[in-house]
Amino acid sequence: MADDPENSVDRPTDDGDASKPEKMFTLKKWNAVAMWSWDVECDICAICRVQVMDSCLRCQADNKRDVMGRQDCVVVWGECNHSFHHCCMSLWVKQNNRCPLCQQEWSIQRMGK
Amino acid sequence: MSAAKKYKPMDTTELHENTENIAACLKKAENVAPTAAAASNLGRSAFAAQNMNSASTNGERLPNFSKLGGSEIRTASTTSNLLNRMGAIHNSKPGDVKKIVIKNFKDKPTLPDNYSKDTYVKLEEAVIAIQLSKPIKYSLEELYQAVVNMCSHKMDAQLYAKLKELTEQHVKRNIKLKELTGGSMDKLILLEKINHWWLSFCQQMIMIRSIFLYMDRTYVLQNSTIHSIWDMGLDLFRIHFAQNSVVQKRTVDGLLTLIEKERQGSTVDRGLLKSLVRMLCDLQIYTSSFEEKFLDATNQLYKAESQRKMQELEVPEYLQHVNKRLAEENERLRHYLDSSTKHPLIYNVEKELLAEHLTSILQKGLDSLLEDNRLSDLTLLYGLLSRVKNGTSELCGNFNGFIKKKGRTIVIDPEKDKSMVQDLLDFKDKMDVIVRTCFEHNEKFTNSLREAFEFFINQRANKPAELIAKYVDMKLRSGNKGTTDEELEKTLDKIMVLFRFIHGKDVFEAFYKKDLAKRLLVGKSASVDSEKSMLSKLKQECGGGFTSKLEGMFKDMELSRDINIAFRGHALSNNRDVHNLDLCVSILTMGYWPTYAPTEVTMPPQFINPQQIFNKFYLEKHSGRKLQWQPTLGNCMLRAQFDAVPKEFVGFAVSSRLCFLLFNDKPPADLKKRIESLIDRDYMERDKDNQNQYNYVA
Repeated sequence: MADDPENSVDRPTDDGDASKPEKMFTLKKWNAVAMWSWDVECDICAICRVQVMDSCLRCQADNKRDVMGRQDCVVVWGECNHSFHHCCMSLWVKQNNRCPLCQQEWSIQRMGK
Repeated sequence: MSAAKKYKPMDTTELHENTENIAACLKKAENVAPTAAAASNLGRSAFAAQNMNSASTNGERLPNFSKLGGSEIRTASTTSNLLNRMGAIHNSKPGDVKKIVIKNFKDKPTLPDNYSKDTYVKLEEAVIAIQLSKPIKYSLEELYQAVVNMCSHKMDAQLYAKLKELTEQHVKRNIKLKELTGGSMDKLILLEKINHWWLSFCQQMIMIRSIFLYMDRTYVLQNSTIHSIWDMGLDLFRIHFAQNSVVQKRTVDGLLTLIEKERQGSTVDRGLLKSLVRMLCDLQIYTSSFEEKFLDATNQLYKAESQRKMQELEVPEYLQHVNKRLAEENERLRHYLDSSTKHPLIYNVEKELLAEHLTSILQKGLDSLLEDNRLSDLTLLYGLLSRVKNGTSELCGNFNGFIKKKGRTIVIDPEKDKSMVQDLLDFKDKMDVIVRTCFEHNEKFTNSLREAFEFFINQRANKPAELIAKYVDMKLRSGNKGTTDEELEKTLDKIMVLFRFIHGKDVFEAFYKKDLAKRLLVGKSASVDSEKSMLSKLKQECGGGFTSKLEGMFKDMELSRDINIAFRGHALSNNRDVHNLDLCVSILTMGYWPTYAPTEVTMPPQFINPQQIFNKFYLEKHSGRKLQWQPTLGNCMLRAQFDAVPKEFVGFAVSSRLCFLLFNDKPPADLKKRIESLIDRDYMERDKDNQNQYNYVA
């Protein structure tokens, strides 16, 4: 699916460069903007009730930063597909090794980075 | 006195003492049986007598002495007799003399009967002569001697009484004279006469005191209730001067008239004024008879004057006038008034000229002074008002009111929004200068200034905060040429002062963030240092929580740069499809940046392809994330190929560019015309540096 548009873009640009002005306009430079966010179903951490895009309450209070200056508070997904702040969840599992939302046994599916 | 005569009084006194002794001895020798004790006394006397003899040999040098009376001469003649007797005693009992007991005379020596009477007459004549400024018949030391004699013979009390009587008579006589003639006389002449009389009276009293010095030193000192001769003179003068209300009143009136004349600008005899005021002081009636009236007159004069001048003059001129008046009064104090008047006089003048008109001065003049930035007048105003009670606080209150009023007009009018922040900055600068230079950096004024700014700036919600954010954006955006980093830094500091006043800090943050996002995404920021400096100022002011997201925005930009470098490497090695396109993606963390409403745009394939490649690249690197593309925020450059001249279009919003790409399929015939019309309508402009480049403006 990705191949078709690639070709269709490629050819006209090449043609444009090669003195045969088939197309009147060609794209030369693009400064694009995109926003990233965690790919989650619910964007609020059920433990601290803060948006997962922000750092968790604890980290906000401590104002923790890693070496990059980014707040070191990533998201973690369980096998049940529920997501929480990693900081919040690591504290939670010390008490109860189940997902707070569905009570399934908690095991990490993946972690944000 | 000539030099030759100068030493005489000393001599005379000494000799006179001896003479006295001798006289006493004689008396004793005649009445009392000679004893050993007496002998020793007599021996001393004899010595003295000899001295005296030698003195009287050069009698010409001591004319006074010889005049003192026959008794002394007699003494001299009998001395030898005495000595003989002493010799006889000594001879008769040579072995008995073992102890010498010294005893006082039992009787005091006396003066001749008519002595006191004569002396009284003599002294009286002398005193009257002095008082009438006529030459004295007797020499001064003779008179002095007479006084000494009188005092030694316990006649000092009478002498004092006599002197007092004489002085009193003299004073009475004079004051009568003044009273009789005073009524018809011109005030000035009267004053001069009185002054003259006073001065000569003082001289006379000094003269008299010199003659009666011995009395002053003995009799007066021993009796604490009695005034010294000088004080007695003053006392009498005072009593009669004060009792005689006509003369006193006319004198005081005369003084007041003179002072008023001077206040009206004519020159007067300050020496005369000074001398008379001194007289009143010396007489200790300055406060009771003069000062009160003087202050009354002052009050009346200035009350009338201030009312008139307030009507006639503008406030600055009035202040100058007041300042001049105060200087004049101070000079007056220095030249002839008693220093004790200083406080009440200045206080009264300030009260009449300033305190009474405090509110009207402030209401009438302050606003225009502040408006016109008349620093020197304001300094004067502050200086004057700080002299009167409540002056500075009233001034401060009015100052505060002015700022609020004026500030409100800057803030409240939506038509002035464009220049609001600059106006505020200028206004703040102006007021700061005034507080610093005119109001002596008074803390009260500084606080009041702050309070007033905070008050009026929040009179209109949100808008000032928004405009301040916009102003910062304007300053930080590139293309803001002509300002150095230093100037920019200064401006930012000033902006922070305004920012501090604003209550709606969140409004400011929202707008600031929006503008910052724009600057970062378009790359139009003037300097990273200035951006960072502004950020640190905000952080200092509002704490890390306020700026953490703004800082995150800067971080995002740095990370995006790294990602793009990595992507370029990736694209070159793996994928030849995008090498023609200069793609640069800014990856923003959602939450840090302002929220942008997602727009549904159907992207042409030229965009979709690189977008997908990048998506794949990015999500491989960062798991668990999703990307949301913002076509409205990006910009791009197109190459147009018509008339064989390549032209470049640069624009902000990608969406507008999409239209052109759609023309690829079916270019309209009048495309060129349409571009021209876009240029005409200011949607596009030709680049200044490159004629073939068009910038999209809207």
